[in-house]
Amino acid sequence: MIRCDDLAVRLGDRPVLHGVTLDLDARTTAVIGDNGSGKSSFARVVAGLVRRSAGELSVCGVDPDRDATALRRRVALVLSNPDAQIVMPTVSDDVALSLKPLRLARAERDRRVCIALERFGLSALADRPAHDLSGGQKQLLALCGAFVRAPDLVVADEPTAYLDARNARIVADHLLAETGHALVVVTHDLALARRCEGAVLFDDGRVVASGAAADVVGAYEAALAC
Amino acid sequence: MLSLSRPGTGWLHRMPTGPKLVALSLATIALAALPSSWASVPVALGAAAILYAVAGMGAVAGVRELGRQVWGLRWLLAVTAAGQLLFLGSEAAAANTARVAAALLVVGLVPLTTPVAAMLDALERGLRVLRPVGVDPARAALLWTVALTTIPVLARLAAEVRDAQRARGLRPSFVRGAVPFLVVALRHADDVGDALAARGIR
Repeated sequence: MIRCDDLAVRLGDRPVLHGVTLDLDARTTAVIGDNGSGKSSFARVVAGLVRRSAGELSVCGVDPDRDATALRRRVALVLSNPDAQIVMPTVSDDVALSLKPLRLARAERDRRVCIALERFGLSALADRPAHDLSGGQKQLLALCGAFVRAPDLVVADEPTAYLDARNARIVADHLLAETGHALVVVTHDLALARRCEGAVLFDDGRVVASGAAADVVGAYEAALAC
Repeated sequence: MLSLSRPGTGWLHRMPTGPKLVALSLATIALAALPSSWASVPVALGAAAILYAVAGMGAVAGVRELGRQVWGLRWLLAVTAAGQLLFLGSEAAAANTARVAAALLVVGLVPLTTPVAAMLDALERGLRVLRPVGVDPARAALLWTVALTTIPVLARLAAEVRDAQRARGLRPSFVRGAVPFLVVALRHADDVGDALAARGIR
């Protein structure tokens, strides 16, 4: 799903990722590590929002720097702050916006929006102003906007950071559900990380461990205890 | 515009956005052309009320929505009426204020009966004529919508900046809050840009 070889990313003059070599094929992968360790930069380069400065990267068989359009069709991104992802006035309009690049007929667009809203339990809120929703509902809407395009890969950057335990659980359940997509989730929530199949541990812009989630999270917890 | 469309299946809801805009624009022009006499007051307000009642939101809901819209316009109408009364007398003040109120109420039916997605499509179609001069209709229409929907977010960010000042024992002030507000607003703009790019929106 994601292959990178000696990947490096610089933001201005500052290197944020260097020497990252990974081959991620697990259906669900958690990316963990301290603040500033390079997790979010990794998510952004995978989602095609940041260009790499060196190395090779393939996401779902696509080079993000060479074919951004193909990447957008296959990869969806969910950010921690849902307010930044909600740009249309109503819930249904915001979900429909994600389908705009597909240039569907209105009836088909409405049908897909209905199905997606139903899946995320948002049907009753379809005509509500999106920015009046609770934090949990907003993040569900952000997920709905990402999933409505049926992506092959969902990249989620700390999707539960602003949520209470109940809503974090609901969002995690949706992300981890087996609906044909792969997931890369950047998270500080080690309980969520443990629910993934695989995990990658970043430190100072480098990968220091990768493998089964239980092993990697265990190694991180052991490092935290020192 | 942020009051958003009301659900409904009436004729105005079903009407395509372009013809609806033309029809309601003509109605607005007709209202604006009414003479400045006492007789225009019931004609203008009655026409607006009838349009709300038959718009397909249901008669009761339509009249309730009319009341909500009038309440939203109260200060504008008060200032208009006061200025006209001062310079033009009672008859002209009543007629002109009624015409302004009716025109705004009729225009208000467009966002009330049209989903934003349909408005966006119509705006995009309308802007196509500007393509030869370098305007990207899709981008311009989206910019307009994002600008509108960002207003409540910016208001919340401003409130958070004020709260942060209070939490540090400072009295909130426009000057002291301007820079932090600008920083969080620009960061929000960056995030929105990233989110749009990730959704395949240029």
